[in-house]
This record gives sequence, C-alpha cells and structure tokens, in this order.
Amino acid sequence: PSRISGGSGSTILVSPRQKGNPVLACLRSMPWEYSDIVADYGLGLTTCALFLSLKYHRLHPEYIYTRIRNLQGKYNLRILLTMVDIANHEDSLRELAKTSLVNNVTVILCWSAAEAARYLELYKSYEHVVAFDAIRGQQATGYAERLVEFVTVPRAINKADAVALVGTFGSLREAVNAGPERRAGAAAAADGRGRGRGKQQLREREEDD
Amino acid sequence: MSTSSSPQPVKLSLPLIYQQKLFEELRKEDELVILARGLGLMRLVTNLLHSYDAAGNNLIVIVNAEDRENAWIGEALAEHAAISMSPKARGLTVVNTDFTSVGTREKMYAASGIFSITSRILVVDLLTGLLNPETITGLIVLHADKIVATSLEAFILRIYRQKNKVGFLKAFSDNPDPFATGFSPLATMMRNMFLRKASLWPRFHMHVAQSLEGKKKAEVIELEVPMTDAMKQIQTAIMECVEVSIHELKKGNAGLEMDDWNLDSALLKNFDSIVRRQLEPNWHRVSWKTKQIVGDLTVLRGMLQSVLALDAVSFLQRLDEIHAAHSPAPGTTRQTQSPWLFLDAAHTIFDTAKRRVYTGKQKAGGDDANIDALRPVLEEQPKWALLADVLQEIDRDLYFEPAVRDDSNGTILIMCSDTNTCRQLRIYLETMYVKPRTEKRVEDFHDPDEDKPSAAFMMRRKLRNYLKWKREFARVSATLVQENQKALNGAVDPRLGHAKSRAPANKRRRVRGGGGVGAMTGRLDNGSIAQYFEKPGEVADLMAEIQITEEEAKQKEDIETDPLENMDDYYQLYEMQDLVVIHAYEGDQDEHVLEEIKPKYIIMYEPDAAFIRRVEVYRSSHNDRNVRVYFLYYGGSVEEQRYLSMVRREKDAFTKLIKERASMAVVMTVDAHGIEDPQEAFLRTINTRIAGGGKLAATAQPPRVVVDVREFRSSLPSLLHGRNIVIVPCMLTVGDYILSPDICVERKSVSDLIGSFKDGRLYTQAETMFQYYKHPMLLIEFDQNKSFTLEPFADYSGSAASLGAANAGGSDLQSKIVLLTLAFPKLRIIWSSSPYETAEIFERLKKNEHEPDPLAAVRAGLDKDAVAEEQAFNTEPQEMLAAVPGVTPKNIMNITLETENIKEVANMEVTDLQPMVGVEAARQIHGFFTRDLLEDE
Repeated sequence: PSRISGGSGSTILVSPRQKGNPVLACLRSMPWEYSDIVADYGLGLTTCALFLSLKYHRLHPEYIYTRIRNLQGKYNLRILLTMVDIANHEDSLRELAKTSLVNNVTVILCWSAAEAARYLELYKSYEHVVAFDAIRGQQATGYAERLVEFVTVPRAINKADAVALVGTFGSLREAVNAGPERRAGAAAAADGRGRGRGKQQLREREEDD
Repeated sequence: MSTSSSPQPVKLSLPLIYQQKLFEELRKEDELVILARGLGLMRLVTNLLHSYDAAGNNLIVIVNAEDRENAWIGEALAEHAAISMSPKARGLTVVNTDFTSVGTREKMYAASGIFSITSRILVVDLLTGLLNPETITGLIVLHADKIVATSLEAFILRIYRQKNKVGFLKAFSDNPDPFATGFSPLATMMRNMFLRKASLWPRFHMHVAQSLEGKKKAEVIELEVPMTDAMKQIQTAIMECVEVSIHELKKGNAGLEMDDWNLDSALLKNFDSIVRRQLEPNWHRVSWKTKQIVGDLTVLRGMLQSVLALDAVSFLQRLDEIHAAHSPAPGTTRQTQSPWLFLDAAHTIFDTAKRRVYTGKQKAGGDDANIDALRPVLEEQPKWALLADVLQEIDRDLYFEPAVRDDSNGTILIMCSDTNTCRQLRIYLETMYVKPRTEKRVEDFHDPDEDKPSAAFMMRRKLRNYLKWKREFARVSATLVQENQKALNGAVDPRLGHAKSRAPANKRRRVRGGGGVGAMTGRLDNGSIAQYFEKPGEVADLMAEIQITEEEAKQKEDIETDPLENMDDYYQLYEMQDLVVIHAYEGDQDEHVLEEIKPKYIIMYEPDAAFIRRVEVYRSSHNDRNVRVYFLYYGGSVEEQRYLSMVRREKDAFTKLIKERASMAVVMTVDAHGIEDPQEAFLRTINTRIAGGGKLAATAQPPRVVVDVREFRSSLPSLLHGRNIVIVPCMLTVGDYILSPDICVERKSVSDLIGSFKDGRLYTQAETMFQYYKHPMLLIEFDQNKSFTLEPFADYSGSAASLGAANAGGSDLQSKIVLLTLAFPKLRIIWSSSPYETAEIFERLKKNEHEPDPLAAVRAGLDKDAVAEEQAFNTEPQEMLAAVPGVTPKNIMNITLETENIKEVANMEVTDLQPMVGVEAARQIHGFFTRDLLEDE
C-alpha cells in the first residue's frame, strides 16, 4: 500500500531494493513511499537504516560492506537493522560488533519482521524529538507511589509490607524511628520472614554512610 | 583425642565415628564433602581448621562463608586454641569490607593465619597480586553447591590452581539438591573446583547410621493435630486460587514449557520460585500480567503458611493488608487486579477468616434497625491446646518419676519456625491460665472448664488491638486513595470516570446473612472483593463484648512491649532447671542452642528434618543426657506435605549422587590452562598488516582489560580471564570495561537496561563516556539461559496510537533504545547472547588496538579534587533517598555526605535540610517523611 506524495517529511522513504521484504507489509502505522535513496530506509534528514538478514549475510558476507561504503558518510545516525533469523548467529554478530566500530554504524537487532517495522516506525516518529525525558529518568508523582517505591527498595520488602508499615505508624518518620522489634511486628510478614525483613531494613537504612 | 596425621597433638571435639572418619579423610586428601543437613558440617570444618591453625605458619583462606559462619568459626577456633593450649594458633581474621585498606590487608596476609575473605575482595587481591596465590597453604570452600562454572568462587579457584599446584583445596556442602539436577552435575561441579574425589555422607550412610542409631537413641513422640474446619476450608480455597492462577499463567504464555506446573508442585515450599525460574529465560518478554500472577503466587504461598502459623486475628489482619495492597488504584480498569481476587474461593478465604474471629448473632427481640450485631468467636489454633497438654504431661512426668540424674538440665525447649511464632507462643504460655471472666461466668459456682488452659485472654486482647488497628488502617488507606485521586484529577485521564466507582472507605455493599453468617464480604462493582468496614455501631457492640474485664486488667500490659528495650531492668539469671525456652530454627546455630541449653524435653512445634538430625547427633554425642522429643504437626496440611517431600528429596538426591559417582569418568585438568600457549604469544607479536610479518613491540605484552571492581559480581571477568586476557581490577568512574585507550564499554544485562532507562542512569553514563572516550559502547548482554530476544509475547501491531510524534514517552524497551541511539548517534551497541559470547567479542574488538592504560582509566571522570572513595557508599539507602520527592541526582550527593543515615534525614527539620538542598526541596523532603496519615483527613 504505497502512497505517492511529493516527498513530504512525514513518510518513511524506502529504497526500491526493499521490494518484497516482509517488513514492508508490517509497516502499518506510518506512511511510506519508494524513493531513490542510497540507504534502504530513510528515517529523517540525518537518520537512515540498512536492513540485513543474517541468513543472507551468511551467503553474501561482502554485501553489507558494499552498502555501508555506498553511504559515503552521508547520515549522522546509521542504523544497521539486523534480523536474527538463523539459530547459530554468534559468528555473524561477533563480526558485526567489530564492523559497527570500524564503519560507524549502530547495530539494532530484531527477531521478526513486525519488530523490524516497529523500529522503523519508532525512528521515524521520534525524528524531531529534542527532549529525551523518557530515558532521563522520572520519578513517580503521587505520595502513595513514592511511599511504596521508597519502602520497597530493599528487595525483601513488598507492597503489602509497605502498606502495613505506614498503617501502623502513621507517618514514615515514626516508622523509621521505631525499633526493629516493633517494626518487625508491624510489617509482620505472615510468611515467617517478618523479623528478618524489619531488621534488614533497619540495617540497610543505617548503613548509609 | 589426636590423629596420627597431624603434626602435633591437637585436641578435637569429634565424638562420633563418622565425624572422625571424615576428618581423617580430609586430612589425607583434597575432596568435596557433601554431608546431609543437620549432621554437623560446621563442627567438622572448625576442627579441621583448628588442626591447621595449631600447626602455625599456615595461610588458609575460607571462601564463601556467611557472616554467621564467620562468627562461629572465630569463636570455635578461639575455644579450641584455649583447650588444646596451642601457642601458635592465631584464630580467624575476617576480611569483608573494602574499608580494610590495601596496606592493612597486605600486612595481614604477610603475617599468615586463617582468613575468611569475601569473594569480591579476594578475587581482586589475587589478581592484583596483593595476596600471592603461591603463598596460600590451602583453601576451604563452604557452600560448594553454589559454585557454578561462571561464579566468582570458581574464578578464585582457577586463579589459585593456576599459580599454586600444591596447596590443598577442600570443599564442603550440606545441600545435595543442586548436585542432582542437570546433566552429570556432580562431575561438572567437581571439574569447576578442580577436585578428584567426592565424599558423600547421607543420613543412611553406614557410619552415620551406626553412630546415631546405637542404644543412645533419642526418644521421639509424634503428635498429629487435626486442623479445624475453618482452617481446612481456607487451605482448600487458597489451593483453588493457586490452581486458577497457574491456569491463567498457562493460558497467557502458550509458548512456554510448563507441563509440570500443577497443584502437587504447588505444595512445595518454593513453588513460586520454581515458576519464576522457569519463566526466567523469558522474563523480559512476558506481559506484566504474567509477572503479576507470579507475584500473586508468592502472596498465596505466604497465606498457605500463615493460616497455620498465625492466630486467627493476626491472619485476618494479614489478609486485610494483602487486600489493601492489591486493591487497584482508582481510575484503573479491572484488568489491573489480581485474577484470584475475583474468585469465589477468594471470597471463601476472606469470609472464613473473618468467621474465625467474629460473627453476627441474632438479637432476640431486637428492632429492625439492628437485627444483627457482632459477637467474637476467636477460634484457637489446635496446636496450642496440645502444647499445653504436652507441658502438663511433662510436669506430671517430672513429678511422679523424679529424673534420673544425668547431665542435662530440666529445661523444656520449644522449637518453632520463626520469631513471630516464638512471640505468639510466649504470650500464649504466659496467659493461658488467665480467664477473661464475664459477669455470667462469675455467677456460675464452679466451671469444670475453669482449669483448662485457653488462649481466650490473648485472643481477646488481640481482637481489641485489631479493631483499633482497623479503624486507623481504614483512614490510612482512605487517605492513600484520596491522594491517588487528586493526582488523577490533575492529569487529564479519560478513564477518570472509573475513579468514582470506588469512593473511599464507606461505599460498600453488605449482604445480610440470615442464620449465623452475619458479615459477608461485599463485592465491588467490578466484581472483585471489596474491603469490608463495619458500621460504627457494630464495632461498639463488639468492643463492649470484649471490653477489658477486671481479671484482664490485672495482667500487666508490659508483655506487649519489646523486652529488649529495658533489658537491664529485667535481666536476671534463671534457674535452668525449670525453664521453658522458645527458640526459632536457625540452621547450624541450633547446635549451639542444644549444647548450651541441654534440654531434657524438646517440643518441635513445627517440623524440621535437619533439627531432628541435630537432636540425634546431640544425643549420640553425649552419653549421659536423655532427651525426649515431641513432634507436632497438622495432619493433612501443607506443613506435613512439605516436611515429607523435603525428606524424600534429600534422599533421592543422595541416591542419584551415589549412582553418578559410581559411573563417573573424571577428566582431570588440574592445571587450568596454566601456561600461556607459546604459539599464541608469538602470533600476537606479529602484525599481519606489515608484509613479511614484521614484529611489533607494542603488542608484545599479553592483552589486558581494565575492569571496574564492581563488575566482579558478573561472570564476565572470569570468562575473560579464561581466554588468557589479563584482568586489571580498578575503581572506575566511567564505564565498566576499558578495552583500549579509545574503547570504553558499559555492560547492561536486560534487566539492568530496563532499570537504568527508568531512572535515567544510562543517559548520564553515556554522556560521561563521550567526554572521555572516542568509542563508547553499550553492551546489551543476555543471560546464558535467557532467550536471546527482546520481542514480547504480545504483538504490537495495533500500537499506532502509541506512536505519534508528540508521544515521545514510549514505555517499551524498543522505543527507549531508539531514543538512546537518537540522543547518541555515535554510541555503538553490542548485542551478546551470553557472557561467553561477550568474552569473544571483546577479544575481537581488542585486536590491533593498543592496550589500555589503567591509570588513565581510573582518572577519567574524577573531578580534580574529588576523592575516589565516594564509591564506597551503600547503594540501597541511596536508591531509597532517590525515591523521596525533592531529592535529585544533583543534591543526593550532598545529602549522603552530610548525614549519617536515612533515619537522620527523616528526623531533620526544614531548616536543617535547607543548606544542603535548598528551600523548595527541603520542604518536599520534610513533608514526605512527616506526613501523618492518621491525622490528616
């Protein structure tokens, strides 16, 4: 279902070489069109992708190097979208790791045509993203969430204990100040680790510096 | 007693034949000892250590010991040294923190002696040459069952064997199970440890049986206790929930192998971890719903246990907590709730649990408005009465036939599984003859039941506390719910309508039961169980019913408070003769308990196979101490099943091990690729790029990799070392592995990757790597056994909605990887299916590159005046702090530097916090800690 539009900025550009690639059938949520580009997929002004099936790569190991050379350093981010479609992929992946270093390409692995298409769509849709807040870490907002997050940092303590803890002491300050014995009683984990948990938590809290 | 093989007479404490045989064996040769649990492994180890310690001038390292064992070994060595008066013995030195400075450690090692060293420190010291492997007399490895090929301990053993061919090496384990799973596991394990001989000592070993089944056998009386009907109902209902959960799991993960997930395996102690382990290879691919169900299984298993262990009131309270924690945040759809909560069986659990505590009753002639009120039921645990019976019997016994004079005290030792049960039993025993007399009872002239022990007093008090707790708890959860709602109102959420469906606290539906069943759990509109809150009037009735009677008031209330708080006031020496001691099982530590208390009667409140053996060993070791054991268990319960299957599993494991040992072909490679292949060394010096193979001096040195010391928790350093790469452990600020002056690698396992995207760590790490290195790389490493794919089970074809340029907050892993590469176009990603692969990839990446400079690597990222020691902080409190609102990655360092611990932060006022983090953040932090959910409405 290719759409002809005058090379607008919101479509994925696909090289005619990709005709017949099952990935195209999975490209559903982004418009795409054929275009004469050096890469396989044009995902933005500075981003492109080359598609490589490991099955093909094993038969024609030199192919991908030719393609990379033809890019001539044109794009800033050059994705090598690699489909893992063979069982003994180790050798090829080792080689690609070295290649990515030498030839300035970023290897992205996918395991199905759908996943490959998903990557292409994602790259295109994030083309103009400037703020990377999604990967710069964000904190939970509500008090309850924060509370649970705070209390459950030590592995052995679960959500039910967190609720029990504040339920018994009212506030966190109270809970922190309570002795280990009382706290264990509060977090009284029915599964028999209550005391261990309370104690452990105390210990960890006090080991801070 | 002395053994001929030791250089000088040493006094040992091994009275039994099998212990002596084993000791002699161990002195003679290196071997792997697998001893059945409870047969005194630690005693053997300490005696062996002492025999070396007494000789002096030995440098012996204990690997893989836990804190408790260290304490034990230290004590035992000192004791032995005092008894055998050996002047050369030095006792144990424990090295377990980085705080022992390098210089001190070097001096300590030079002085020789016996050391117990944390593996992470030991491996670094061996690699840096601080502790020269050749100077070590021998290694003692504990918990040998945990040593797999890729573990740190196996790495240590390899370094040791590579450099030191003569030192001894003895490995111990008291857990045969891991040696019996997988393909020829024993042989593999022994190869990992470079050992030739395995020595197996099951309970049915001839020498063991002889030693323990002589005429000095311990007397054991088994008492089967029937469960009450309510308990049975609850247990059955929980099992039903488990079954349905397992069914859901199977449905949700069609592609997985799970034929053996059935109800039978659900009886096992760790069935939830078995399920988790089976899902582990695909953990990053399963839907969150599956993860939730696995979590539910843990909760359900906890409930199975607590229905037996907790009293009726505590169990109900526990259920309330579980329910509160699992109820959905308002505004979410019903799918977010655990499936088992929708079942009728769940209803049965909550309902029956409540009926064990109180029930409605018909008030004769009451008006319509108040036909039902609540009446306490307070079912007692059947074991309590039996326990009282047993104690009475012992009393009678002592009275009618005065004890034969022997060495044991008259003490009665009660063993149970955990400290909670200890507390419960203590209170029960203290109060069992206190009668909560109501007026009616006083009128009765003489009640035949009068002298029967009962828990009525304790239970009534518990119920009072419970009702009080529940009132507060209702308020707390209401506040939490409100909080959520406020947050939701702020955000524009199309699903907000749902939030209204659960107004806090009072919105409930009550089903009025006829007959005896008064209170029933209502159900929420979405079909799950709603938490039931009583009408104030009902609670008042109930409170009146159980109000404190005079008799009760006389009892001092201090029983409830922590006895440790004013230890000094209470502390006094009791006569051992008439003491009842309640203790929880604590593994090897129980041996000490037995030795110190010397009980004549032992009541095992809950079954424990290892403890029975310990009693056997104890009895056989002491000619003149009589012991009688009462063994209590609930018939037809999970507890019984678990005990039986544990005994059976251990026996099977040993049988399998014996078979494997009989047919084992051990391939011995004692020298772990000892010397470097000269051919390889030669080839490395030749550069094929130069015609004729001109020599290149720069690469003549063996390849090396600078590794961050924190990375030693993973198996990669060990595998790199296995490929003849020199490992240089350093404290790195930037990157995990430095392969060349230009290449810096940050390693992330898939779960790390998800975590570090979430808290933004990876972004910062990538930023700093780009400051110091030309070719930063991100290594995404899958586990050896994990499936090598990121693809989730659910397909994402219809996810167009989540695309959209504005929506840059994609939540799945793929979209985050995409964002990362867009943010750092020059960041290279290495995909590796296992640590083995990574080692090969590293080797290849390093080819034709210069070797890295450790000094430069350490210096990278450090501020000129910053101290490298900053790394020594414990990460957990930091993570906790990071969850506090107002704390940012920037000011967290200030806080950790300025304060001692979290407790201090929690107790600071705004004015104290202000200088560290500023006004706004200080107010937020202060508010987070002091917010009182009981007060604000």
